[in-house]
Amino acid sequence: MTPAALSLWAGFAIGLAFGAAGQVSGFCLNRGLRGLWVTGDGTKIRAFALALAAAIVGTQILDGAGAVDLRQSIYVGTSFSWLLLPVGGALFGYGMIACNGCGARALVLLGQGNLRSFVVLVCLGIAAYVTLTGLLAPLRAQAAGFTGTAIAEGPQSLPYLLARSAGANVTRFVTAIVLAGLLAWFAFAHKPFRDSRKDVAGGTIIGLLIPAGWLATGWIGNDDFDPVPLASLTFIAPIGETIQYAMIATGAKPGFGVAVVSGVFIGSLAAALSTGAWHLEGFPSAGRMARYMGGGALMGVGGALALGCSIGQGLTGLSTLAFGSFLAAGGILLGARLALRGPLALPAL
Amino acid sequence: MTDARIEIPRLSRRHVLQGGTAVLALAALGGRAFAQANNNGWERFEPVRKLIGETKPLTNGLSIELPLVSEDGSSVPLVVRAERPMAEGDYVRSIHLFATRNPSPEIAEFEFTPRAGRAQVETRVRLNESQTVIAVARTNKDAVLVAAREIRITQSGCLARTDTYESANAMQTRVRVAEKAQSGSPVEVLTLINHPMETGLREGADGKLLPQRIIRAFEVTFDGQPVFKATLHRSIAANPYLRFFVVPAASGTLAFTWTEDTGRTAEHKANIAVG
Repeated sequence: MTPAALSLWAGFAIGLAFGAAGQVSGFCLNRGLRGLWVTGDGTKIRAFALALAAAIVGTQILDGAGAVDLRQSIYVGTSFSWLLLPVGGALFGYGMIACNGCGARALVLLGQGNLRSFVVLVCLGIAAYVTLTGLLAPLRAQAAGFTGTAIAEGPQSLPYLLARSAGANVTRFVTAIVLAGLLAWFAFAHKPFRDSRKDVAGGTIIGLLIPAGWLATGWIGNDDFDPVPLASLTFIAPIGETIQYAMIATGAKPGFGVAVVSGVFIGSLAAALSTGAWHLEGFPSAGRMARYMGGGALMGVGGALALGCSIGQGLTGLSTLAFGSFLAAGGILLGARLALRGPLALPAL
Repeated sequence: MTDARIEIPRLSRRHVLQGGTAVLALAALGGRAFAQANNNGWERFEPVRKLIGETKPLTNGLSIELPLVSEDGSSVPLVVRAERPMAEGDYVRSIHLFATRNPSPEIAEFEFTPRAGRAQVETRVRLNESQTVIAVARTNKDAVLVAAREIRITQSGCLARTDTYESANAMQTRVRVAEKAQSGSPVEVLTLINHPMETGLREGADGKLLPQRIIRAFEVTFDGQPVFKATLHRSIAANPYLRFFVVPAASGTLAFTWTEDTGRTAEHKANIAVG
């Protein structure tokens, strides 16, 4: 098997693990934020925090050890858009609350028979490609060009900025450990979370799948002559890519993202079938359907502008400690907050 | 890192036969479709007409493999292949590649000798927009074959490359070729040189045009005898990658030379044991 094919299978396996872990533990940023800001259930947001801590430590170890070069990822460029990342993030966050789960969550829910998610995924995937390569693409590219900025010369991430003043790996690991330590402390200081084994395991597993994804593309897929583009878990462009690949597969090769997306669906389906959680669900009303379609489209457009979703920027992007990912993740939190509290808040489902 | 790498299987006669049968079956099934696909617009494309001259070209036997849609026009994988004998008296001498709607249409010219064993090259090209890619092959008896293929290029910010090229490792070469071969059967050769292939059309961070700097020529010999030659233009993607074939008659040494337009060269040697 070629490195590219191995990398695809690794992506599929990572997707299976994500789908199964997500299905069993109910890992979901939407539920986490809703719990934190509305219902007062603090366990899901802590599972997300723990996942982020694991992702940051794992990813920074890989980059520090030279197994992958994060500067090749889309997150750590030589510049980033100060406008599109937070605005896209906010659109995504609002859409995520509108349809009660992000793109990755929708894939997991589809696996357990939730047909509402199918509508969300189709709207999301098409809206993402409209923004990436379709009608909105020229506008997006121009806006990105006008608003490109850099904090200092060189790769736009915290480790590379701090490395200017001290040894690269010392500052990198101090930063990673401080951030991950704070997140883990936030998670484990909460007794209900400590006691929920499912959430602790789900968060840890999903967090570690981020460095696994970097390894699958940047190390396994690192063919001398045809390297696989460096990436890890992300869902906006890949959901669109999967739809597109299904339609024009002849003459095209599936990418890492397509393998992950298929894996998540099948992993969740298998987990749901084996635990008896699988059952078909649809929309109770046309109004609800319209809301989910709008939410899916918002996630597609926003995620494409922000270069990622709650997983793509919230975990994978942040694990690189890129400045742009902090902006995008901040945007996602802001959008979700607006949809949950205040004058723009959406009615509870 | 190397343990994830897999040896390339050597090509056996069975593979060739299987491949040939598949191609024949496909040709029979899709002959009409191929004829149509091979006919889009090369007659109206001046550089190709000039190259062909008065000869009536064949539209069968030459094929271009390209994705239908590519999201990254800066590096599109391309295979061009002439299904023709490569014998001493009858072989494909050259293949020219054109990108009809690039700023300069020439992509590359490949020159073969019977020692190449197959008139087939894989590379990666730059395509500025959706367009037709045309290949023109010429045999030593001056028969001309032509093929055309359409491709759609979409833009994707997610895949945008950073505009700085790390020049520290420029001119570093990589070659992969099976160390052992059977006499008379083609051996696959993969080559790559780290190089920006600067087009001379692009602005740097300071808004000034970056000067053109490309790998102009690539030459391969086997024990001093010419095997394969390529003339590259700026439509070849950065880090020029070429995959082609060689038929070693006996054990010997493959010698590779890359020449930059500045005159600077890089060399590489690889041994093949036949037996």
